[in-house]
Amino acid sequence: MEPQQFQQAFKTLETEVQKVIVGHDDLIRKILIAFFAGGHVLLEGVPGLGKTLLVKSLSQALGMSFKRIQFTPDLMPSDIVGTEVLTEDSGRREFQFKRGPIFAHVVLADEINRATPKTQSAVLEAMEEKQVTVFGDSHILETPFIVLATQNPIELEGTYPLPEAQLDRFFFKLLVTAPAPAELKEILKRTTGTVTGEISKVLPEDGGKLVGEMQQLLRQVMIAPPIEDYVVRLVHGTQPDAVNGGPAKSSVKQYIRYGASPRGAQAIILGAKGQALTEHRVHVSYEDVERVIYPALRHRLILNFQAEAENITTDQVIGEVLKHVPKH
Amino acid sequence: MQVLARPSNPERTKTLVHHLVAQLSRHIWWDSLLLFVPPAAAAIYILALLFQAAWLSQTAAISTAIIILGLGVFGVLLRRRPLVPTVRKAARMVDQKSGARDHFLTLATIDPASQPAVLWTRLCLQAEGFLNRIELRRDFPYKFKRSTYWSLGASLIAVMLIHLLLPVAPSARYSTTVRLRELAQQMTASPELRSLSKELLAVASKLDDPKISPEEKQALAQDLEQKLKEQQKKEEQKDNRDLLGEAASAASGLEKQQQVASGQDQQKDQQKGGGGIQSNTPQDGQGENKQSQGGSGESKGESTAQSQEKMDQGKSAQPNPKEKGQEKNQPGDAKNNQNQPDPNQPGKDPNKQKAGKTEGGSKDGAGKQQASEEPPPQGGPQADRFYKPGEGKDGLAAKGYVTVQMPEELVADAKGEGRTTKESKNTRGRTQVPVSNVPLPAHVPNAPTEKQQVPIEYRGIIR
Repeated sequence: MEPQQFQQAFKTLETEVQKVIVGHDDLIRKILIAFFAGGHVLLEGVPGLGKTLLVKSLSQALGMSFKRIQFTPDLMPSDIVGTEVLTEDSGRREFQFKRGPIFAHVVLADEINRATPKTQSAVLEAMEEKQVTVFGDSHILETPFIVLATQNPIELEGTYPLPEAQLDRFFFKLLVTAPAPAELKEILKRTTGTVTGEISKVLPEDGGKLVGEMQQLLRQVMIAPPIEDYVVRLVHGTQPDAVNGGPAKSSVKQYIRYGASPRGAQAIILGAKGQALTEHRVHVSYEDVERVIYPALRHRLILNFQAEAENITTDQVIGEVLKHVPKH
Repeated sequence: MQVLARPSNPERTKTLVHHLVAQLSRHIWWDSLLLFVPPAAAAIYILALLFQAAWLSQTAAISTAIIILGLGVFGVLLRRRPLVPTVRKAARMVDQKSGARDHFLTLATIDPASQPAVLWTRLCLQAEGFLNRIELRRDFPYKFKRSTYWSLGASLIAVMLIHLLLPVAPSARYSTTVRLRELAQQMTASPELRSLSKELLAVASKLDDPKISPEEKQALAQDLEQKLKEQQKKEEQKDNRDLLGEAASAASGLEKQQQVASGQDQQKDQQKGGGGIQSNTPQDGQGENKQSQGGSGESKGESTAQSQEKMDQGKSAQPNPKEKGQEKNQPGDAKNNQNQPDPNQPGKDPNKQKAGKTEGGSKDGAGKQQASEEPPPQGGPQADRFYKPGEGKDGLAAKGYVTVQMPEELVADAKGEGRTTKESKNTRGRTQVPVSNVPLPAHVPNAPTEKQQVPIEYRGIIR
């Protein structure tokens, strides 16, 4: 695939989603980047900001199968991955695997933090291995596969914070913020009138193949060794116990309990590659890294009690790391 | 499918960063050179000054200059090494200057063989778009760094301070030979000294010859000094004696310069048995102070300073024509000593006698005696008890006695008559010294030359 084709398809998808979603341009772009990088996205925001609509719109634009799972405290893992059910066919009874909602190209895990950790962990294997195992049988998930999870802020009642292991499996964590007044006005205009935005399918029938090619191209984007080194230094700089944590070590050591994992570095580089492609480049620049480091690392840094007590966010710590880690 | 255009100037895109690295390396060379050359040049200039002033021997000057140059080269290399820009750094600079977004960095650091050709070609094309924005000579010109100005300023200040603070003669050797030539010129006026003046000129020319070794020059100067002294002793005319004395002094100074230059000064003094002390006891008829340096443990700077002092002394020993006879170190004192004050001797030119009756002359004689009879203790300044009356720091004021003359004697002196005192009539063979208020030993060569009239109240007693 040529880079221009990628950019064209990407732009079309972006424009299509923007027909329904007002504002959140960067959010849409990051979700698409994560999709083409083969990652999953965690969307965090208070209820009513259009998270679910965004995901639905995206799946419609992609023209792929879409399933929505509403996570509740009584949701069971089998409700997600599926289960064996006894069926009778021409007088013969047998167990047959009934696929759960996880078997779709785009899965919306709505309010994922409202389910119990047991149910949350059921999504783990699916997200990482892109397969599920039920009664000893493994079942391959659809390709491409993306989980778009939404969650309410942790401090709200009736929520279960996601386990760290599961958090690490999300490629990006994106924050959905309240729309600006102008955007809100546009939202009202589009949703309260008689005419609402219609999303048409952008990708062709063999959309899966095209997405595969786009994912392949994204991985071919060139990255200079100095920029790779920079990413390594950044991720290493988030480790509080690192021997040479760099200049940011003091704030990192003060507020971080666990630093970013290698998955964080992978997410940064793949995200940067996607960012470069969206800007008509075939190589990664330092700016690309700086743009994607926040969504790539903000859910991978585990803050300690002092940070929580002082209302320090992971974004602030990442900002410190960026400020102090030299580019060359 | 869109067909990508080929990059029109792929070589320039690839080599731009490497050209910049080369250019910046040259800049670092210049920076380093400009940082280290001024101080090195200043140091060598100062060395040359010290060498010209004969404060340093030729060997020491050359070896120090070589060390300074070596340190300079080492400093240049040491400073340059960490500052040489890497390809990455240069590529970043090109990117920043051209407004590219790490295009050149990627081009310079990625192996194209491992990349998809389509993407690589596209990258080259994109980078080519920035090429017209950058011109290496224009965008990366050489600029003098602040360190260069500091280095230059500090070096100039050091040179100026050396000139201001150190009383370095422009060229002691040069001025001495010039002085010799001047003296030779003056000697030509006198027919007796004409041959000697030619010799003086010949020696001066040889001394200026850099091919002749310092040892040979020293020997030449020694011979010349000897000849001049001999001639001085033979000479009867005072002007000629003075001229010869000056020439001898100059020759002596030259000899010492050559001693320093050849590095033999120290050995010579050790042979003399110098214990590292400075003696102001006159050891020869010229009244020159010999200094010992060997084994004293003094630094070279001090010893050279002493040498300079000696040279200066030698220069000052040249009598001012207006003050003839009053100089302590006047050459020809030995002869003057023979003309010790004898106011009763008729037939002498009073002015000449007055000139002959010098303090310096008497002191020199005393110094000679002292040096031969009772060497002063070594290792420190000479104690006051070793000074003859009239010597020492207080000079004449501490002499303790004066020679007095009766008015009749003064009248007789003026008339050129002999002594009229009882002592002079009865005991002429005993002493030539007129009546005084203190007993004087017989035949004192350095009898006080001060004369004053006997106060009226004592005249009766004496008579």
